[in-house]
Amino acid sequence: MAKDNFSTFRSRAFSRRVVLKGAGCSMALPWLHSVNALADAPTPADFPKRFGVVFLGCGVNENHWSAEGNGAEMKLSKTLEPLEPLKQKINVVDGLFVKALTNQGIHPAQTGSLLSGEHITKGAIIHSGISVDQMIAGHVGQDTPQSSIVLACEQPMTGFHETNFSLAYSSHLSWQTPDSPVPVEVYPALAWDNLFDNRGSLLNVSVLDRINDRAKALSTKISATDKGKLDEFMTSVREVEKRVELMRKGMNDAQDAAKTRNMSAAAMERPANGLPEDLREHAKLMCDIIAIAFQTNKTRVASLIISRDLSAMYYPFLDVKEGHHAASHDNASDNYERIARFHVAQYAYLASKLDGMKEGDGTVLDNSCLMFMSNMFVGRKHDNSRLPLVLAGGLGGSLQTGRSLNYLGESEDKRKMCSLYLSLMDRFGMKQDKFGDADTRLERI
Amino acid sequence: MRSVVLALLVFAAGPAFAAGASPLQAQFDGTVKPFVGKYCVACHSGPQPTAQFDLKSYTSMDQVKEDFPRWSLLADRLAAHEMPPKQMPQPSAAEAQAIIDFVHGVRAEEIKRLGGDPGTVLARRLSNAEYDNTIRDLTGQDMQVARQFPVDPANTAGFDNSGESLTMSPALLNKYLQAARQVADHMVLKPDTIDFAPHLMAVESDHDKYAIQRIIAFYQAQPTSFSDYFQAAWRYRHRAQLGQPAATLSSIAAEMKLSAKYLSMVWAILHDKDAVGPVAKLQTLFNALPAPGDAGLLTVKTQAMENYVTRIRAHTAMQFFSPKVTGLPGQSEPLHNWRLQEYADNHRKSDPNALRAANEPEPALPEIPKYPPLHEDASPRWAIMMMHARHGDADLVYPVGQKARYQAAFDRFASVFPDTFVVSERGRYWPDQATDNGRLLSAGYHNTGGYYRDDTALMQLILDKKGQDQLNRLWNEFDFIAHQTERTWVQYFFNQSGEVDGNINGTLSTESGSKRPVGHEVTDQFVILQMRDKYLARWAADKEHNDPVAPKAFRWHFGLINATLRNLEKEHVAAEPKHLAALVRFAERAYRRPLSANERSDILAYYKKLRSQNRLSHEDAVRDSIVGILMSPDFLYRFDLAGQKAIAAGARNETKTAKAFNAAPLSDFSLASRLSYFLWASEPDADLLKHAAAGDLHKPAVLTAETRRMLKDPRVKGLATEFTGNWLVFRQFETNNSVDRQRFPAFDDNLREAMFQEPIHFMQDNIQNERSVLDVLYAKYTFVNPQLAKFYGMPDLDGDADSWVKVDDADKYGRGGVLPMAVFMTQYSPGLRTSPVKRGNWVVQKVLGIRVPPPPPVVPELPSDESKTDKPIREMLAEHHKNPFCAGCHLRFDSFGLAFEGYGPVGDARAKDLAGRPVDASTTYPGGVNGDGLNGLKSFIQAHRQDNFIGNLSRKLLAYALNRSPQLSDESLVDKMNANLAADGYKFRALVETIVQSPQFLERRLPEVTAAAAPPPASPPKPAGKLIKTDFRKEH
Repeated sequence: MAKDNFSTFRSRAFSRRVVLKGAGCSMALPWLHSVNALADAPTPADFPKRFGVVFLGCGVNENHWSAEGNGAEMKLSKTLEPLEPLKQKINVVDGLFVKALTNQGIHPAQTGSLLSGEHITKGAIIHSGISVDQMIAGHVGQDTPQSSIVLACEQPMTGFHETNFSLAYSSHLSWQTPDSPVPVEVYPALAWDNLFDNRGSLLNVSVLDRINDRAKALSTKISATDKGKLDEFMTSVREVEKRVELMRKGMNDAQDAAKTRNMSAAAMERPANGLPEDLREHAKLMCDIIAIAFQTNKTRVASLIISRDLSAMYYPFLDVKEGHHAASHDNASDNYERIARFHVAQYAYLASKLDGMKEGDGTVLDNSCLMFMSNMFVGRKHDNSRLPLVLAGGLGGSLQTGRSLNYLGESEDKRKMCSLYLSLMDRFGMKQDKFGDADTRLERI
Repeated sequence: MRSVVLALLVFAAGPAFAAGASPLQAQFDGTVKPFVGKYCVACHSGPQPTAQFDLKSYTSMDQVKEDFPRWSLLADRLAAHEMPPKQMPQPSAAEAQAIIDFVHGVRAEEIKRLGGDPGTVLARRLSNAEYDNTIRDLTGQDMQVARQFPVDPANTAGFDNSGESLTMSPALLNKYLQAARQVADHMVLKPDTIDFAPHLMAVESDHDKYAIQRIIAFYQAQPTSFSDYFQAAWRYRHRAQLGQPAATLSSIAAEMKLSAKYLSMVWAILHDKDAVGPVAKLQTLFNALPAPGDAGLLTVKTQAMENYVTRIRAHTAMQFFSPKVTGLPGQSEPLHNWRLQEYADNHRKSDPNALRAANEPEPALPEIPKYPPLHEDASPRWAIMMMHARHGDADLVYPVGQKARYQAAFDRFASVFPDTFVVSERGRYWPDQATDNGRLLSAGYHNTGGYYRDDTALMQLILDKKGQDQLNRLWNEFDFIAHQTERTWVQYFFNQSGEVDGNINGTLSTESGSKRPVGHEVTDQFVILQMRDKYLARWAADKEHNDPVAPKAFRWHFGLINATLRNLEKEHVAAEPKHLAALVRFAERAYRRPLSANERSDILAYYKKLRSQNRLSHEDAVRDSIVGILMSPDFLYRFDLAGQKAIAAGARNETKTAKAFNAAPLSDFSLASRLSYFLWASEPDADLLKHAAAGDLHKPAVLTAETRRMLKDPRVKGLATEFTGNWLVFRQFETNNSVDRQRFPAFDDNLREAMFQEPIHFMQDNIQNERSVLDVLYAKYTFVNPQLAKFYGMPDLDGDADSWVKVDDADKYGRGGVLPMAVFMTQYSPGLRTSPVKRGNWVVQKVLGIRVPPPPPVVPELPSDESKTDKPIREMLAEHHKNPFCAGCHLRFDSFGLAFEGYGPVGDARAKDLAGRPVDASTTYPGGVNGDGLNGLKSFIQAHRQDNFIGNLSRKLLAYALNRSPQLSDESLVDKMNANLAADGYKFRALVETIVQSPQFLERRLPEVTAAAAPPPASPPKPAGKLIKTDFRKEH
């Protein structure tokens, strides 16, 4: 039985539009070029850079979250143990925070702008900022069938938290405009369809077909001169159709190319309909989808909420009886440590998977930046004056890895999460003067 | 062009035409060509003909007709003895007159032959502005998605609404696709129809927001001020004295926009017999209201009455506690909601515990406790706060022995005056809202979302049946659209039900929920009732100590959730066919005409295909069907379709008049669109479509009535913006970035927008209020908002950027009419200086429509910053004029521009230029007339150029209305417009009415059926040289 939270009459309206936004009819195909680049002696610069975020709600067990030393000598605490095999390729960053999300209440008030650093609005009007992943998607997303994929293993909440902040802030990380989060896809099957079935472009093909039909019907009724104008319109329609076809064909070619290269692309089968019963399976499927999407360049930006803020997830397989949020109020417990470590393990799984995908002399992970984060550090105190953060991948050699970086001793303006975002966007070729509350780059990164 | 030539061949009787037997052709060959050869071609020919006018290049009559405006100008300049230049050989008066006659002859013949020709009006896609306006009227939401489209190019007449210029490209098609999806993403499915939200409906919270804001807006619109009702009662009492002896309570309620139902209740209690307690006190206050004549005092006194009522009711409001059940927190949802419902049911009751006998002492006041911990009921704290509030209120004291009588009076009082009409927000400690408010319609839960409706007093006292139905519908749609009951239930299930669900999770936890049920959806009846039974079992476990009402509360709570969800399932199924019907209606509105049976089934077939083939849900399929409709050429293009009957009429027309073209009346639906896009730059409204369906729109009386109605409608802003914006060339000013904002700090985006809006407000007012079009030139008034008023040095205005007022004495500030508007002064200044050349050229060419030859390829540059020049701009220009080649043209418009020297580079009134030199706005107009400044300019135009202005306005409006460049044969219509305008007091509507009653507007060209039979004509060679294209007819 699928674990569908919502009854069957619920229209599944929220999953599809993300796709259409990206696929729209953005016709540029440098994507193909990069696939070709696989064939001809590529240089690292030929490979696209990717950005991903993996999220855990309600913080970690602070007693088991730390890293010391660098490179092979780096010592990882218990919760970070799943990252041990990858430690040369990660940075564990401590002490960053988002000022705008402090001192205004708990939970949604601590989550609504994690990726943008903007002030969020209380009450009926929902207002945050464009998140860094969507900024990057806006910049690099034109070249891929989807500008980004925004996934979650947990349905969003609605209504208001008692702080009078909307629970939408708890449920979404990725914001496409300050007023509008990107709808999350929770169904692995639909996320898969959107990627491999090209549902977005299929739907546009449908619309274009329909225009053809209408034009035919109309042309019997209008004058010869008007037909000239209609022809001009239809020429444009055919042109767009051709490009959609070309893109679809290009994607299939690329999948074939990837297969012949034994890159295990599209080796993934379509997940079953509905929601997987077990979170372990759910999270793994979502990670697989991101990995394949990155590898086959169907998108370069992804975010995944494994558990949201105020999460109602259950972990019977970790022998935890309480739900996630309730357990986080006792975050120093072994129970909650296991929950946090489970999330890190999913993140490590995705990073390893990307690291297993060869790309030139390196791997897809080497050309990515995969971020792991939460909205607070200490759940029982709702303390978000520092945030747990790991970065995996070297962004095509532009980001040094294998380091533990501690900013805790620094002044507030030297440990801004938004400074990190500015530094990362630089590496995507997006020089911003200012982002969120920051106008300087993060030092040492 | 070709079709005209073809028609010419067909109707001009064969070979004789080609031999040039027409008298005009003979004149052209025998008189004009020799004249031109003798007097003109010395300058006007060769590789660089003067004024880029190569007179040698005209070898045929067709070329003359095609480029007629220049020949018209030639005739004008000959008549004025401006050409040939004085130093050149001069023709005799008779020689010149022959040429002038020839030019007039060409015009007359063309009018005779083609007069009333609708011309070739191409199918045209909606311009960007039309697209936005149409979407606005189609969806009810002003989304302005066309902002992302590339700017529309203009045709030769300067308008961006014609098929000649509105082309399509793959890039634009992509933009249309994105825009259509964006519009469709605002879609809302309601139980009986499709609607559109003002914002994107992307995530679940958007659906909440949409539904909540509609309910809140409804609440806020209700008349619930007690004071207003007391005033109404007072007006009724004094109705005779107030000059309304026949007034009734109902009529007064209607007049004051109050609830008649409630007013009668208020009136009744103010006249209760033998009243005591609060009723008596209120009656005393009412009877003490001042007599008519002192309105100010009245308001104060009725407000005092309201304050009295509010205080008494606050102190006598009922109080409720969550039922106690061992092991369950007070804010357990079923218990919490029970308490909320008790409140909702009792806003019209008075708490008996609030009253005290005169001989009873005040109760001792316990200390107000702290807020309770999470999940616990805050009611006990509220009860103590209430004791504090009541303490010392003498109005709550009754005489010894009269308890029952007084309690009855308080009950009576409360039945009319509820402690609140609606609860529109709640926090966790509600009714205490001191620290914890702002969650609209919220139930006040801790971590989970959830809403609770409490508007019983509003429903019972204020709303009539219609209002009650409307509010019920809004709440029902909150569920239908945003699934609020379902979402609340699901969130509760996963986040809070752990408080009772110990069987599953072992330990109980108020911050945890239950595991996903196996074999069921969370929303299944089975799951809901199973949960209810767990609560019942919890209660039964400690029956003796638990509140006996709790089982009732549990049954009620879970029963209500289940019933609501089951009902919604049915509603969603029932709604689908209604949505499809609405989809067809949407297509009819979008296509601006009725659909054929085939077209209807086609739309439904597409929906079905999306569901079956693309596996879309109902909502997604409806949404994509909307995208399909918005991408259809029927929506994106305007095709002028001839009516069926009309074609025969057109054929008759052709045989009767033997005109050189074939035309037929438009169908009434095409006519409706023509009208609406002309006058509103948007789609036809229901009224127009009704007339089109009835088939009487083309009747002159109906047409005039509709036109006048439409000119009064606010949507005429579409005409004011698009026509005026293109005619006077400021349509793109909103994106003007040429101003140096460091040097002109007053110029910010708000001021720029205000400058852009000024001429639009001026024209909209001119059209709607039927003022004289001459006001454009001579008015002493203009329109300003606060920013613009400040910039113009006018008295400060209150309000936001949308508060526009008419300033009647704008001339005191150097404003009035269109000419000195800052938008034009700024647009025609190159940054850090003024430009009399550009400003003058704008007045002469755009406002007055006088043709000026294009400038030669190489012109000297003037310095860009006047603060750094050693001479004022007028002196530099004067030097330029010393060159006779330059002077020939410059003298014709520079003088108009120098009149504006009193306005700086951003249109700021000034006495000194940027270098600190006093400005001089005196000027000498063509013909030697002297003038000074703006008033001099106005006087000169009034005396010498007014006809140019009117003719230009007529031609421009005609081109805009017909969606094509004007052609020579339209000139008789232009003459008629000019005449009708003068006869109708120069009202804009005279121009509009003349146009809409003209054959050009009412008919369309029919294809030249005979053309195919005729041999293709030998195209005349194009005039050589660098002719500026001035096509009067289409190329296609």
